[in-house]
Amino acid sequence: MFGLPLAFASPWILLALLTLPLIWLLLRLTPPKPQDEVFPPLAILRKLAAKEETPAQSPWWLTLLRLLMAGLVILAMAGPIWNPRDAVLQKEGPVLLIIDDGWASGKIWDQVKQMASTITGEAEKSNRVVSLMLTTDPATASEKPLSSSEVNSKLEAAFNHAIRPDHQGSAAKLNELLAAIQFGEIVFLSDGVSTGDASEGFVTALGNSSIPVTIAEPELGELAILNPIENQPGKMIGTVSRAIDTSTLPLRVIAYDKDGLPIARVSSILSEGQKSVEFSFDQPVELRNQITRVEIENASTAGAVQLLDEGNRRRIVGLISGQSSDISQPLLSPLYYINRALSPFSDLRIADTSNIEEAANDLIAQNVSVIVMADIGTMPNETESKITKFVEEGGLVIRFAGPRLAANPNGPLLPVDLIEGDRFIGGALSWEEPKAIAAFELGSPFFGLPTPKDISVSRQVLAEQNTELSSKTWARLEDGTPLVTADQLGAGWIVLFHVNSDNNWSNLPLSGSFVDMLRLTVNLSRSTNTATSGDTALRLPAMEILDGTGALTPPPAQVKPLVIEAGLWPVPTLETPPGLYGTADGFVALNLIREKEEINPLDTQELSSTLTKAQYQGGASFAFTPWLLGAATLLFLLDCIAVLWFAGMLGKFRFAGATAALVLAAGLIASQSTFAPTAFAQSKTNESVDFSAALTTRFAYVKTGSSQTDNVSAAGLLGLTRFIGSRTALEPGDPIGVDIANDELAFYPFLYWPIDLDAPVPDEETMARVDAYMKQGGSILFDTKDQINSALGSGSSTNGNAKLREILASLDIPPLEPVPSDHVLTKSFFLLDSFPGRYQGGDLWVEQTGRIEELVDRPARSGDGVSTIMITSNDFAGAWAIDNQNRSLFATIPASTGQREYAFRVGVNIVMYTITGNYKADQVHIPALLERLGQ
Amino acid sequence: MSPAIGSQVNADKASDVLVRSRARAALIPDLLVEAQRVANNVFAGWHGRRRRGIGENFWQFRPYVEGENYAAIDWRKSARDDIVYVRDREWQASHTVWLWVDESPSMLFKSGEAAVSKQSRALVLALAMAELLARSGERIGWLGVTPPIVHRHAAERLAAALMVSKTQSTFPDTSLISDHSEVILISDFLGADDQEHALDPAFQAVAEKHVRGHLVQIIDPAEEVFPYSGRVEFRDPETKSQISFGSAQSIRADYQALFAAHCTELSEFAKRTGWSHTLHHTDQLASKALQSLHVDLSASPMRGVR
Repeated sequence: MFGLPLAFASPWILLALLTLPLIWLLLRLTPPKPQDEVFPPLAILRKLAAKEETPAQSPWWLTLLRLLMAGLVILAMAGPIWNPRDAVLQKEGPVLLIIDDGWASGKIWDQVKQMASTITGEAEKSNRVVSLMLTTDPATASEKPLSSSEVNSKLEAAFNHAIRPDHQGSAAKLNELLAAIQFGEIVFLSDGVSTGDASEGFVTALGNSSIPVTIAEPELGELAILNPIENQPGKMIGTVSRAIDTSTLPLRVIAYDKDGLPIARVSSILSEGQKSVEFSFDQPVELRNQITRVEIENASTAGAVQLLDEGNRRRIVGLISGQSSDISQPLLSPLYYINRALSPFSDLRIADTSNIEEAANDLIAQNVSVIVMADIGTMPNETESKITKFVEEGGLVIRFAGPRLAANPNGPLLPVDLIEGDRFIGGALSWEEPKAIAAFELGSPFFGLPTPKDISVSRQVLAEQNTELSSKTWARLEDGTPLVTADQLGAGWIVLFHVNSDNNWSNLPLSGSFVDMLRLTVNLSRSTNTATSGDTALRLPAMEILDGTGALTPPPAQVKPLVIEAGLWPVPTLETPPGLYGTADGFVALNLIREKEEINPLDTQELSSTLTKAQYQGGASFAFTPWLLGAATLLFLLDCIAVLWFAGMLGKFRFAGATAALVLAAGLIASQSTFAPTAFAQSKTNESVDFSAALTTRFAYVKTGSSQTDNVSAAGLLGLTRFIGSRTALEPGDPIGVDIANDELAFYPFLYWPIDLDAPVPDEETMARVDAYMKQGGSILFDTKDQINSALGSGSSTNGNAKLREILASLDIPPLEPVPSDHVLTKSFFLLDSFPGRYQGGDLWVEQTGRIEELVDRPARSGDGVSTIMITSNDFAGAWAIDNQNRSLFATIPASTGQREYAFRVGVNIVMYTITGNYKADQVHIPALLERLGQ
Repeated sequence: MSPAIGSQVNADKASDVLVRSRARAALIPDLLVEAQRVANNVFAGWHGRRRRGIGENFWQFRPYVEGENYAAIDWRKSARDDIVYVRDREWQASHTVWLWVDESPSMLFKSGEAAVSKQSRALVLALAMAELLARSGERIGWLGVTPPIVHRHAAERLAAALMVSKTQSTFPDTSLISDHSEVILISDFLGADDQEHALDPAFQAVAEKHVRGHLVQIIDPAEEVFPYSGRVEFRDPETKSQISFGSAQSIRADYQALFAAHCTELSEFAKRTGWSHTLHHTDQLASKALQSLHVDLSASPMRGVR
């Protein structure tokens, strides 16, 4: 309506708006009834009458308010709906529904589905059959049209994929379908993005069908893709491209580590007319190396995500040379060419000393991944073992030959045995020509690199021939002698270039191949150790894949392992969608967007004759009625306040009245919008309690519901807290009462549970929580507080005992015993032989020790040997209880200060026992240990 | 709708009021006692004037002066001596005090903050004054009701006369008021409906009579404070004419200024004519006004008599 996506459920009600002028008249003519007042000094008032003209009519704003109210009610009754659904289908006959379910529909997928279901709904109404074709997988399109309900159920299950739609296959399938079925019309829910020639072919195929086509195209204004990221020295550079450049598009690119935590964020703006923009993360390399995923914020498409694997990591490479680096003649330095070749893709640390021992220590301390050693023959044993350890832990050592190495062929850290001396080819004393490099073989990490033609090797070290040599060789010369050999040592690799690292022995260091070879070699470091698997191709299982919205998810069942043919980078397909393949130790990233890829909108010009364009309707329909009615209610409340004000009531109540009214109004509104505010508030407070509880160690008591018992518990634990604070290194927070049924117990190491005879027995669910708490290592001290009632300590059952049994009935309690004299509890802080509380004589019962292994099926397993349950009848809290002035609240029975002191010591022991576990039990073995050590 | 702030109540009967006014009057010390404190001027009643004159009580003996009436000679005194004495008597003359209370409907107004209506308070004041003056033996008259009488129970008699008299709609005839008498006018002085002046012309006429007047202005607190707000229609109890205001609170300040000006005008008039002006609010104690009036009556007597 009026060009807006607005419609009315019952528009004729809007006619009632015509009555508004009438209402206006009525409102104007009937002012609010005035207060009638007798007033003798009227003569004086009369003098004032000239000043203020008496309003015979309502003030205009009140009238306006009421008119607005009436208008709102009428509008609300008319039922305005934002975004009404228009009919899409116009013709008759079977419908061919083609849906782009590729990556570009990630953000609009809900709208696509909504529209598709609208179409099937329309088809159902007119009893039309529908054929469904999903362009990522056109082969599955049904040969026979289905009923709309069947299509609907298919649609329900459909989700978009993180790959490009197969428009080529779709065009073929389309022609096939068109030949088989006489369609009435075609609806193409496009993602609006062209995949190049295939898309054009598809559009042409649509046009050739001469069947009316409706194409729905989304707004592409915000669609942007992320081109592959390059980890350059100093920064990480990427490019954002977009389909349409008619507007300014601000966006943010975020980099995440492998746990999904954002590491870096960068904002950039695509201004008008700019199709792509470059951005960079200039975080330190250590941080950049942790990035596994870069994405455009809120883009929700797989195209806006780039996954990074080991290949994108910048290695820190340490360089050691046997020769002291000569600054004045850099070109003669053995490290110069390596430096130049490695610096584009790794960060170099050059050892600033020629002392190899110091240099190796230094570099390993700097956490390098790769150590390059240029012409080093021997090294100290200690350094050798250090570097060996480094390699075994996953490090990579790249060695270059040279005169020193040639002189020490049996030196350490070599992949192959060398023949002493070096081989001169093509020198003055040789018949041979300098050799070129042979093509890289399958199985070599260099496989796939073009064979370098222009390299000649005139000098090399030779390897001892043996059966393993062939498998250890990564590159060889034309005559079969190895040029690069490698061996695995532990988790790492040792790679030997049989030539010098400068251009004395060969011109390899001057060539581009040298850079590639070094890059591939460096990539080996802490990477997948798959380079030399004998297979013809590498098969990597999917670890995590990108879903249609660009999020990393566990792979569904139909995803197949990624097959990497040597030298051939795979293309994402439906079976191998973009994602991470491999294992957590080593994986490769398969990305949707390729280097320098651009996206362009789908060109549908060709179709103009049979084409109808449709729009995806953003968002769901939105009915205004409740909001309008709410607004009208608000206005009504305002009106009430205004009327009150006119009547002079507000003057009496002043602000209090007005505020009350406003509060009332706000309350009404609030109660409409949120139905359960109290529950919300409840959880809120719990959260804050939990928060503070998690920050400090504190003791908790179980609230029994009887305020007297609870107060004693609180005072008792307060006393214990202060005693512990003054006597031990532990300074607990203030004790807290917990509702055993609702509060989170996990924060409290120790729970004091006084048995109150009147308290209800906790229900099953609560006891399950208690059970879980005990299993997770919490300890509960049950206190029946009735030692005084037991018949002079005869041990007969008291009411408290009975109650406790009732409570614990649903809990499978392990066998208990009175604390044995050698129990940790007797020595966990103070040395104790009895456990008095306010009363004396009652036993403290704990889990039976010693037979823990036998009791596998016991649910309340003790954590770290700590008894999860302690039962006493001595009323500990009574003995501990103090008031704010630190005065004891209850006399001990029998009355003696010594007993209270002991009661506190018992408390300390129990707390130490629950918190530190049985390590005190280990301490008792110290004499025996010392004895054994003979000291 | 809140209940109206002000209302019109029934007129109090003079006999009922009498009891209350007696009580008020009892609080006020005897005018005589009060008058004794006034040095050389006593203005009325059986108490002497402290000067010779016509009276019943002995004042002094003095030598006969040639030409005096022989009858004035006190022969018994003169016989004891060689000098002929004249027996002077203390001058005794009672003053005439006229009372008048406005009985217009506007006096029946009573607001929520006041304890009684203005009419009730005015009657109490008038009768209490009458009681006091009667005790002092003044001649007390009620304008338009009774001529001045001298009686110990004059207040009662005034009350009785008020009971039978018709309600005065206008200011009564003032011809009976002789010069040099006192006039106590108790009213709200709001009668001058459309006049420019605050005072009814009738009062002006009284003022010209060379009497000493005492204006007691009774005000309901609502009339001064104007506690109205919101949309209010005001109605005059006398003329029944109406004015309504959209928001009464907005004119409050203006009204208060005008009302204060009205009171000032009245006070100015009193100052000009040498009269006294007592402002009394009905939410205050009647005895307060009584005391103030009493002081006005006792202090600087005869000042207004020219």
